Amino acid sequence: MAAVRREEMLSLAQNAVDSAQKKGAAEAEAFIYEGQTTNVGIERGQITKSARVIDKGLGVRVSINKAVGFSYTNIIENGTAIEDAVLKALSAAKASKPDEDWHGLPDKKPLASVQKTYDNKIAELSPEDLVKVASLMLDAAQNTDKRVFPIEGGAGAACISSAVANSNGIAYFDKGTIVECSLAAIGKEGNKVTPVCFEFNAERNYNINPEWVGEETARLAVSALKTKRIETKSTKLVLTQFALQELLYFTLTNAIKADYVQRNQSAFKGKINEKVAAETVTIYDDGLLEDGLRTWTFDAEGIPHQKTPVIERGILRNFLYDDYTAKKEDKESTGNASRAGYLSTPSIDATNLHIVRGNRLPDDITSEVDDGLIIYYLQGAHSSNPISGEFSVVATPAWKIRNGEITHATRGVMLAGNIFEMLKNISAVANNERKLGQLVAPWILVENAKVIGK
Amino acid sequence: MAVQKFGAKYAEARAQKLFKTMLTLKEGRVEAARQGIESGVALRVLVNGAWGFASVAASNPETLVEAVSDACKMAKTASLRLKTPIKLVEIESSEDKILSRPRKNPSEISIEDKIKTTSSINETILGYNNTIKSCTTDYLDLTGTNYFINNEGTYIEEDKLYVWSRITATAAEESLFTFSREEIGSTAGYEVFELGAPEVVGERVAKRAIEQLKAKPAKGGTFPAVLGPNVVGVFAHEAFGHLAEADLTLSGSVLLNNIGKKIASNVVTLYDDGTVNGAFGSFKYDDEGVPTRKTPLVRDGVIAGLMHNRETAQKFNAKPTGNARAEDFRVEPLIRMRNTYMEAKDHSFEELIEDVKFGYYLKSVRGGQANLDGTFQVGIQEAYEIAKGELSEPVRNASISGNTLETLFKVDAVGKDFELWAGRCEKGQTAFIAKGGPHIKVKEVIVGGSS
Repeated sequence: MAAVRREEMLSLAQNAVDSAQKKGAAEAEAFIYEGQTTNVGIERGQITKSARVIDKGLGVRVSINKAVGFSYTNIIENGTAIEDAVLKALSAAKASKPDEDWHGLPDKKPLASVQKTYDNKIAELSPEDLVKVASLMLDAAQNTDKRVFPIEGGAGAACISSAVANSNGIAYFDKGTIVECSLAAIGKEGNKVTPVCFEFNAERNYNINPEWVGEETARLAVSALKTKRIETKSTKLVLTQFALQELLYFTLTNAIKADYVQRNQSAFKGKINEKVAAETVTIYDDGLLEDGLRTWTFDAEGIPHQKTPVIERGILRNFLYDDYTAKKEDKESTGNASRAGYLSTPSIDATNLHIVRGNRLPDDITSEVDDGLIIYYLQGAHSSNPISGEFSVVATPAWKIRNGEITHATRGVMLAGNIFEMLKNISAVANNERKLGQLVAPWILVENAKVIGK
Repeated sequence: MAVQKFGAKYAEARAQKLFKTMLTLKEGRVEAARQGIESGVALRVLVNGAWGFASVAASNPETLVEAVSDACKMAKTASLRLKTPIKLVEIESSEDKILSRPRKNPSEISIEDKIKTTSSINETILGYNNTIKSCTTDYLDLTGTNYFINNEGTYIEEDKLYVWSRITATAAEESLFTFSREEIGSTAGYEVFELGAPEVVGERVAKRAIEQLKAKPAKGGTFPAVLGPNVVGVFAHEAFGHLAEADLTLSGSVLLNNIGKKIASNVVTLYDDGTVNGAFGSFKYDDEGVPTRKTPLVRDGVIAGLMHNRETAQKFNAKPTGNARAEDFRVEPLIRMRNTYMEAKDHSFEELIEDVKFGYYLKSVRGGQANLDGTFQVGIQEAYEIAKGELSEPVRNASISGNTLETLFKVDAVGKDFELWAGRCEKGQTAFIAKGGPHIKVKEVIVGGSS
């Protein structure tokens, strides 16, 4: 992959800022993103494709009389296209309405350092290397059991760099790498097909374990073949990271965002320093987490990433802010502005949402469950009520735990409840922490969850 | 060049220039008004039976030559361990130029006007009553042109035009929060916002959020249900449609062993149709240069076909259906739905509910998802109890689940009305689609509720 061009990106960003100010912007900010990804794809049991995508562009945000405009272009080699984007941002600001809560772009603050976010080995991976990774994973899955049918997956490497500059003197650049492999498979026996089982491994450094991904996907798919129905009742649930991610993403992750709180869309409004979860629960938003998938030195508007306590031993401590929502409350941003590359304006999002691990082995936790379920995959969490936290989802599949043993898979089991109630019913947190996109978490044990069987 | 120098069996290039305008209004406050330009080229080649793909932003000749060679090398590398080479079904080549002729072209409407329209939706909602706590309106319009060319002589220029808006509102009373959402989408033009549409939609969204405040939680269990067009659409799309995307069928969806067989009650006929005028999922040619069409999926309860790209059509020995779609030049085309719906029959709404002693009327969805084994889940944002053949009290946060094929056999009556709803579908990429149908009655479905 081509060398990352720090100086070039910073000067492009700075030029766009200068040009916007010259053309009448009270303030201006430019954000440049470049992503180079290479991946190989698996389809139905074999590697069938490979792709290389280079996506880069510049987004410019300006304000005139407290009205904000934004424009982007992906033609950044060409000065005219950038000038055009600047003009479009200005015309958008002029067309827009003033916002009394707009108190300007962020000021410059010193950055903290981050560890293990860029690995030259990933930057230098060739498609051939990725074919090897994908093959190891695929072979591991197919050699585990004949009934495993890998339907899709692959291996990929990405080099990402971004630069941000604004009229308050911010001018920052960062780069990082990510390597990942993933596999989705079903178990097939006669006419019987299991739901899709999935595993993956993504890292900032070149230390992924494709064999484990293959074997674990296969193990889950095979064990999902034999299913029994279960009855409707309240029961204990062990939630793996996949299930947690699904349940939290559409509910808790929004409830802790300052804009949701300010706009009366958060069940946590007014509950700072109150108990919102069981004492076993501590959650940080940690944008500096060592080798975290969302670890960078600064956020989407150039504010330093930091580690923010969200819930400490069950007590709600902080919400997540970007510069706009922070200034509205006369606070400091927590460095949680996020963007879809160069294509969008900043909006609040968690960085690495870190549920701190406990000290129990996952096996110890399941072995203490007399009667319950262990949930891997959930379907339909996106239809949860994002504000109240009420959800009604289907587990595809879940496994029954009886007398401490995982006995068999279940089919079509629905779980219903409220995520905020559930947080209070967490009775144990395991020590098997792992990274799953934005979430870094271990397994957790939940009491009294409603399960609807047939 | 791909063919001559690298021995590609097939090569295509897709170039795009897209213009977007986006707005987000929160409680009437305009967040940054946004406009952008994207342009780029996607190259896809088939070498030694494997796909190679490269996407670049620039269109200068040197970069393109490099990208072609990249794509071919990528394909060769991918083919190293190939057991079954990919083949494409033959199609007639076409040369065509499709111009969009909207009555109101969004690119000729000022941002001020667009802000005015979205503001009026906000005002309607916020002004409805004081239990409404927030309102977000997102607006997007996209215009531009797709250029498609392949080594078989196909050359197509097709204009793209999409206008879309999503409106969400929340209401609260004491500690109860409710939530309501709706989408508008059209490929016809900005005229979708005429006819008092902003006010009508705003009122509907506000009313739904407020009504849920006095609604009770749904009971969990198995009940008869009448589904509204919005729910039938999501069922047709999520629960059935994805299983009939031929790539997913081949991946082991429950339809694989059922092609040509009866999988639903006689009253069920389903289509995926790219030809509905102005609908959000309509277009003329797909991203492999195949003309779109009206594709029957289920006819009178029997599987009539699947949705194909050229690769799966070859595998199934079927005609390509024009379902290969790519979100933009950054990604490869995948099999995607267009406008997916159930065909209307003969029942009135009253006839559908009159025999239900106790059950639910599920009117509007919050989202849905299906699995290859046919397990589906559809979250409901607007529902009512049906008691003794009549509509009764509102119910909140219900969802339905079950097995798609079992549920299709339980459809015992289909209404005579019809609605199509705009939406977006995620399959690694976003596609603009529509879904719909008439009201239908289902003998039983699992309702997930918390009471």
